[in-house]
Amino acid sequence: MKAYIIRRLLNVIPIVFGVMVILFILFHLVGGDPAIEMAGKGASAETLEQVRREYGFDKPLLVNLHAFEDRGLAGLVDSQFFHHIWDSVTFDFGKSYRSRRDITEIIREGAIPSLSLTVPILLLGLPTALAVSLMVAYVRGTLADRGLVVLCVLAMSMPYLSYILFAQWFFAYRLDRFPVFGYEEGWAKIEYLILPVLIGVVSGLGAEVRFYRTVILDEVHADYVRTARAKGASAHRVLFKHVLKNAMIPVITRVVLAIPFLFLGSLLLERFFGIPGLGYLTIEAIHSRDYPVISAMTFIGALLYVFGLIVTDICYALVDPRVELR
Amino acid sequence: MKQWIGIFGVAVSAALMLGGCGRGRSDDIDGPGKKVRYLALGAKVRGLDPGDIGDTTSSAVGSQCYECLYQYSYLKRPYELEPGLAAAMPEISEDRLTYTIRLRPDVRFVDDPCFPGGKGRLLTAHDFVYAWKRIANVKYLSRNWPFLEDKIVGLDEFRQYTQTVASADQVDYSQPVEGLKAVDDHTLRITLKRPCPYFLYTLAHLPSAPMAREAVEFYGDQIQNVTVGTGAFTLKSWKRGSKIVLVRNPNYREEFYPTEGEPGDDEAGLLEDAGKPLPLVDALVYTIIEEDQPLWLSFMKGKIDSAGIPKDFFNQAITPERKLSPELARKGIELVVQEQPDNYWFGFNMEDPVVGKNRPLRRAMSCAWNRQEYIDVFNNGRGYPAKGIFPRMFKEYDPAMENPWTEFNLDRAREQMKEAEAIHGGPITVTLSLPGTDTTVRQYGGYFQRSMEKIGLNVVLDYMDWPTFQDKVHHKSVQIFSMGWVADFPDAQNFLFLFYGANVSPGPNNFNYRNPEFDELYSRFDTMDPGPERVELARKLERIVVDDVPCIFSAHRVAFVPYYKYVRNYKPHAFGWGAAKYSDLDLELRKELVGR
Repeated sequence: MKAYIIRRLLNVIPIVFGVMVILFILFHLVGGDPAIEMAGKGASAETLEQVRREYGFDKPLLVNLHAFEDRGLAGLVDSQFFHHIWDSVTFDFGKSYRSRRDITEIIREGAIPSLSLTVPILLLGLPTALAVSLMVAYVRGTLADRGLVVLCVLAMSMPYLSYILFAQWFFAYRLDRFPVFGYEEGWAKIEYLILPVLIGVVSGLGAEVRFYRTVILDEVHADYVRTARAKGASAHRVLFKHVLKNAMIPVITRVVLAIPFLFLGSLLLERFFGIPGLGYLTIEAIHSRDYPVISAMTFIGALLYVFGLIVTDICYALVDPRVELR
Repeated sequence: MKQWIGIFGVAVSAALMLGGCGRGRSDDIDGPGKKVRYLALGAKVRGLDPGDIGDTTSSAVGSQCYECLYQYSYLKRPYELEPGLAAAMPEISEDRLTYTIRLRPDVRFVDDPCFPGGKGRLLTAHDFVYAWKRIANVKYLSRNWPFLEDKIVGLDEFRQYTQTVASADQVDYSQPVEGLKAVDDHTLRITLKRPCPYFLYTLAHLPSAPMAREAVEFYGDQIQNVTVGTGAFTLKSWKRGSKIVLVRNPNYREEFYPTEGEPGDDEAGLLEDAGKPLPLVDALVYTIIEEDQPLWLSFMKGKIDSAGIPKDFFNQAITPERKLSPELARKGIELVVQEQPDNYWFGFNMEDPVVGKNRPLRRAMSCAWNRQEYIDVFNNGRGYPAKGIFPRMFKEYDPAMENPWTEFNLDRAREQMKEAEAIHGGPITVTLSLPGTDTTVRQYGGYFQRSMEKIGLNVVLDYMDWPTFQDKVHHKSVQIFSMGWVADFPDAQNFLFLFYGANVSPGPNNFNYRNPEFDELYSRFDTMDPGPERVELARKLERIVVDDVPCIFSAHRVAFVPYYKYVRNYKPHAFGWGAAKYSDLDLELRKELVGR
């Protein structure tokens, strides 16, 4: 397993490099000129040029042949592309073009509020969805099962935003059970997080229950289930002891791959409930051509995703002895 | 194992939810008798360094903490300036090039660790010289350089010098600038390159606020996260993207609530606090609410004192007679209506071979645009049709001007269209570029397209995000574009320079409009003395523009702002951002109306 992990870790390098190259190409192919926003309202052509020069936007995109003649290799890599790659691999994300703030500081500040929201949603949502799925699988084919499946489809069909709008209006405003909006540090934070966390859990239940129900029902028809029942194990024991364990592979895939996205926050919940997380950071950065922020978030996202895949593989081997990592 | 995973999960969850415990609530400002104003901001504050503030949200907060030489009179209309940090209005030389400004001797910076002993020192003229040189410093990359560019003798040369140094901290601020001198600690002398009748407005604009050099050096890059100003309030806490708390600056200079206003102010109770020392409240709490529903619900619950009315809640708040709905009136809410200093238009790229060379086409399109219907459908009637450049609040607005090309008249539009097709040589197709891809923008584009179909014009819609849009406009690669302008100060120049030939893209003249007659008259207008002759010239310039139709002038906005009655002295101001010091609260009424 050690060799496998080392090999997979080495694979991270070309994958992340590829992501950064694609990002750079896309940004420079379709992106606008960030100097326009940075130079200020009513800026003259000269001021725009000065801003481009100071930020290095006037440097060649890929290689600096002009500087190569004067400074050799060091001059050749004095281009936007190589600066971008070097900054990423050294984790020197620099400053946001838009806010002029240190990007590491922005991410550090936003990560805790984002995780405060998304981790409880995952930790509450997963057992709830699994429990409901097991119950549905237990009573499969009955009216309750069919009714619940219909409910799940309905829940999946409803836009996420409608959950937020309704819950905020009804529970926070009409019933006055929760704060409409806001966020505080420390203990006071809980009061503001309960409603968005509940919305996150409930809105995800439809899709989750349907998925886990299918996974569990696939296992229910396996040979070992019949064997267990033939040996006298109760339906209850078979379901919770054997089926659940064997259904863990798809569950792990789903959960572990969701973990990197926890860090990226929840765009709508954060916006509507005033949680100062990272959910909207990338969107805002794209809208304002804030390339250093886009680059940092993509780089971190790619790293987390690739590591998530490695962790998933390792978890497979842990829960299923038939899986061997070579 | 499973139990451990469960325990671990719960622990992680609890730790995250409780993260930051022990730091306590940062806005511990409420208390018996404490007057705290609760306000909402529609976007995140980027930074509070006045030299770099370039957005209205940051200005709204920053201007409570930093002040300028001049400020807008809170109550008087039309808008006029009065001394702020200056002791009096400036002495202006006969050639109108030199401004000598005496500073108030009693102004102190707020107490801050950057000063010896943490005690805020007296403001001097050197703080202005430093602040403006800092904006000119190209390494600092201030967004506000356009306000000072090509105005002060020697300042552009100072900027050139800063291009030669390696980094911002190597800039030698002792390099003299001929037109910017601290004659003594309390006298500032500014020499302009050419007369500038609107220069005083620059001196009331937040970026011109003085900066203490020791604060900039002490905080470095963090200067944007603190406030070391002379304003009525100072920053107490700032939870990025969430909440900002400002508290009264104990060092605030002696300033009093105005004793004069415009007719009707006395009857409206706006002079009841006349002569009282400012600020009248103890703290300001800004909550950043970027979405419409939470903004409105927070206001309706009394969590914020005033708010704009989101489009989807307009019919709930305002009756068809444009009055406050009975439901809101019962809650103790009142309404103010405020015209905005703006103009929204569809600009033509005058360098485009189709629209730029075909004036009848531009006129036809302008006549085919039903401004009032657009305002009713898209803005709930919050606006009025633009018949020219200037909004009604500008003294240059000409109520007598008749502009046949901004009147909705389909017959006239069709006549012009025939002429346009004859010039073009057949049916015409044009492309409208729109910033945004959301439903409202698409509805807006669709409405424009259908309006033009009525005169036989085919419009292709091109939706894009804002940076792409800006980029295309600046590179002259659009044909027609939807845009607007919000004036920074109440002088016609702030609109007219958008049509000046020397400012074509990538400068601010996005229409790439060039008219030798306009350019010649504008050059005169730009430097002439304020007065009736200048107003008349501005109107003449406007008439030239509306006749050429480099854009379809569409609408000026009108804001409807409901607020709770317990907020006293509430009078919206189109330009005076730092006005929170004038507002007061009736705490008993607040308790009665919203229970806190």
